[in-house]
Amino acid sequence: MVDLIISTVTQGFIYALLSYGIYITYKILDFPDLTVDGSFPLGAAVTALLLVKGGNPYLTLLAALAAGALAGLVTGIIHVCFKVRDLLAGIITMTALFSINLQIAGSNLAVGRDVATLFTAEPVKTLFGSLSLLQRKLIVSFFLMLLVKLLLDLYFKTKNGLLLRAAGDNEVLVTSLAKDKGKVKILGLVIANALVALCGCLVCHEQRSFSATMGTGQMVFGLATVIIGTTIFKKEGFVKGTTAAVAGSVIYKICIQIAISLGLPANLLKLVTAVLFLVILVVGNRQKGGGRANA
Amino acid sequence: MKKTVKRVVCAVAAAVMVFGGAACGKKEVPVIGISQYGEHSSLDNCRNGFLKGLEDAGLKEGTDYSVDYQNAGFDDNICTQIGQNFSAKNVALMCGIATNAATACFAAAEDKDIPVIFTAISDPVEAKLDKGNITGTSDKLPIEAQLDLIRKLQPDAKTIGILYTTSEPNSVSAIKEYQEKAGAYGFTIEALGVTAQSEVTQATDTLISKKVDCFSNLTDNNVVGVLSSVLEKTNEAGIPVYGSEIEQVVKGCVAAAGIDYYELGRQTGAMAAKVLKGEAKTSEIPYETITEYGIYINSGAITEMGITVPEDVAEKAIEAQEE
Amino acid sequence: MLEMRHISKIYNAGTITQMCLFDDFNLTVGDGEFVSVVGSNGSGKTSMLNIICGSIPIDEGQVLINGQSIDRMKEYERYRRMGRVYQNPALGTCPNMTILENMSLADHKGKRFGLSGGVNKARAGYYKEQLAGLGLGLEDKMNVKLGALSGGQRQAVSLVMATLTPLDFLILDEHTAALDPHTAEIIMRLTDQVVKEKKLTAIMVTHNLRYAVEYGSRLLMMDKGKIVMDKSGEEKETMVTDDILHVFNRISIECGN
Repeated sequence: MVDLIISTVTQGFIYALLSYGIYITYKILDFPDLTVDGSFPLGAAVTALLLVKGGNPYLTLLAALAAGALAGLVTGIIHVCFKVRDLLAGIITMTALFSINLQIAGSNLAVGRDVATLFTAEPVKTLFGSLSLLQRKLIVSFFLMLLVKLLLDLYFKTKNGLLLRAAGDNEVLVTSLAKDKGKVKILGLVIANALVALCGCLVCHEQRSFSATMGTGQMVFGLATVIIGTTIFKKEGFVKGTTAAVAGSVIYKICIQIAISLGLPANLLKLVTAVLFLVILVVGNRQKGGGRANA
Repeated sequence: MKKTVKRVVCAVAAAVMVFGGAACGKKEVPVIGISQYGEHSSLDNCRNGFLKGLEDAGLKEGTDYSVDYQNAGFDDNICTQIGQNFSAKNVALMCGIATNAATACFAAAEDKDIPVIFTAISDPVEAKLDKGNITGTSDKLPIEAQLDLIRKLQPDAKTIGILYTTSEPNSVSAIKEYQEKAGAYGFTIEALGVTAQSEVTQATDTLISKKVDCFSNLTDNNVVGVLSSVLEKTNEAGIPVYGSEIEQVVKGCVAAAGIDYYELGRQTGAMAAKVLKGEAKTSEIPYETITEYGIYINSGAITEMGITVPEDVAEKAIEAQEE
Repeated sequence: MLEMRHISKIYNAGTITQMCLFDDFNLTVGDGEFVSVVGSNGSGKTSMLNIICGSIPIDEGQVLINGQSIDRMKEYERYRRMGRVYQNPALGTCPNMTILENMSLADHKGKRFGLSGGVNKARAGYYKEQLAGLGLGLEDKMNVKLGALSGGQRQAVSLVMATLTPLDFLILDEHTAALDPHTAEIIMRLTDQVVKEKKLTAIMVTHNLRYAVEYGSRLLMMDKGKIVMDKSGEEKETMVTDDILHVFNRISIECGN
């Protein structure tokens, strides 16, 4: 029972990294970025390859971040410089990444148990060696989730972060501030996809494998977590977007785990997800309406 | 804020109840967690064979073991969570059907070192599922037998067209083997890769236009998933299609030298029974590749294509037609 | 000083709907001038602003600022020394950000947006001072999001934001048109106040003839891409609304408006 909660929450923390990325593109930039379905496995592919070749587990974090950033850059350039619509720009990169991921890691790349991952390498081994792997996974993913969250929260308060938020809020203003709104958008996509690839990296460490199909549906998943998170905390003005993203991710994973525990057939799982999604949106809107009526 | 706290508390409470309810249950009987990658006739056959294998070994469901069957609907994320669910419930054994499901089970089992048994995996070494507390059965295609069968049924054929998904590891390795071995039987292989199921029918047209003498199928999920529409096109063009297992022949392929997934599952079930009875440890049992293959033919389709079945083939062949 | 020399602009060139808007259009605005521009719909007022700001390309001619051509500058680059207030109050501010954050953005216009703190607390006093000048009490709402303010309040903040940094030009693009008459009056008075205080050079496009006459140091009337009336100095001072009304009516009737 405790184990199940630990592993489910761990999943939530790991996928929170992806939710941050979607939060930036979807919520801040208002950009439906389908690159995610390609940059997520990209992070995993790079990670799997490095691990198999005996690379340092910590190096994979940087490599995944860089690879994801590059993917975001490509989508950004396609959208901004070649004036391709946002959705299409993402689809183009995602499609290209499918082939690129196959080139990097083949259709499947497994990492043997003898290879040290983030959860088993130093210094985690020395610090938390006495704990079970399950608990170590929770600690490491919690730490990464928190670290990225704090960094993002800080970033959003910098001048650059303020400009990024402005680009999503009112792009005309960015031009008025004598700034190239295209560059700001590209930057947002770079950051977002770097985070998505980081999530893919962590999933690869956790699952010890990369598969070419692992990216399918990640964008929709991320969207769901962000919407769940922000809807639940809509009234709480002081709750940060990043916090909402983490909450959304954890809640989503818990819901899926409940559905599995209840023995719902997988074919129904997606329907359950859709219903959950709808309920949260409707309840969220009701509250918003009610709040207005009270005021 | 209060409201939100209340809501979160409620959600957690509900989760605890559900998890709790799921976690207690029949503790006395060892649980076998079966994680199947998706709904698919071959994989279903595997599962049913697996249960039969346990039964054949004298184990009774309910008294000797109970089954927790989960299907991931071809979703890798759900595979992960299913594995974790099994691990948290401390199942006695996990059975992963198809690569992604087995990989997720193996990852989830690492912490507690729960034994894992896999089936329907073409290359367990490549998937790094050959070492550790894990064993199972491989469904590597009997490619030489298939080439031999095609040569016997179509003595004049020169090219074999094969559709496959570039991201399916089993398919990619099978194509490689086809290309290596085709020469010895006087064939050239015209392989055409797709990335999604929606591209399969179009790719069928392309292969037909290249005037291949026949199609040969792999166990490729995307291709097998739309087999009926592939057959519709090839039948119209008068090109025979060879399957890779019995189910495909039942659906309308002319013939197949293939493995019987039910048999494969049974073999796996027998291995699981040994582990449950404590006769052997998973880490000590090497994985098995099915060496026996069957020849299946669909007489209706054979006649339609005007193919004559030589005596020696007809003797061994098993008729596989929809009733 | 702004100069527009021999500007020509043809819309939909080479098609049946081809329309020549400007043909050898010339305009010079001296430093410190506050130019009001009136004209019927389609007379080219807004196109003229868009050409100055670089929002639309021109076919021929040159735009110069202080004698230097800005034709090769991209739209966003031109805003380094230019401010613009739009007709839609939502375009001048970020609705999901607080007044303080909006002011901080505007304060940093044209500079590098690096990783230093986005909101400089030390400047908050200066922002409050600027907002206090509006007399709308906005200086006490520094942490309120812009989206929660009324259209008039937003437009007032837009005006302050557009003029927070040193400018060569202030562009006012029918900036009172979307407001109710009372609020429009307030914003217009504030505009005049800001332009005078900061000694700005400004070009204001308006449909309100009275504003055009009452405010500013020079009045232009445009029709079909040409300047049909240009009054400044003494002439402008002594003008009353009726003087331009009949000219305006005449060209409006010709246009079928």
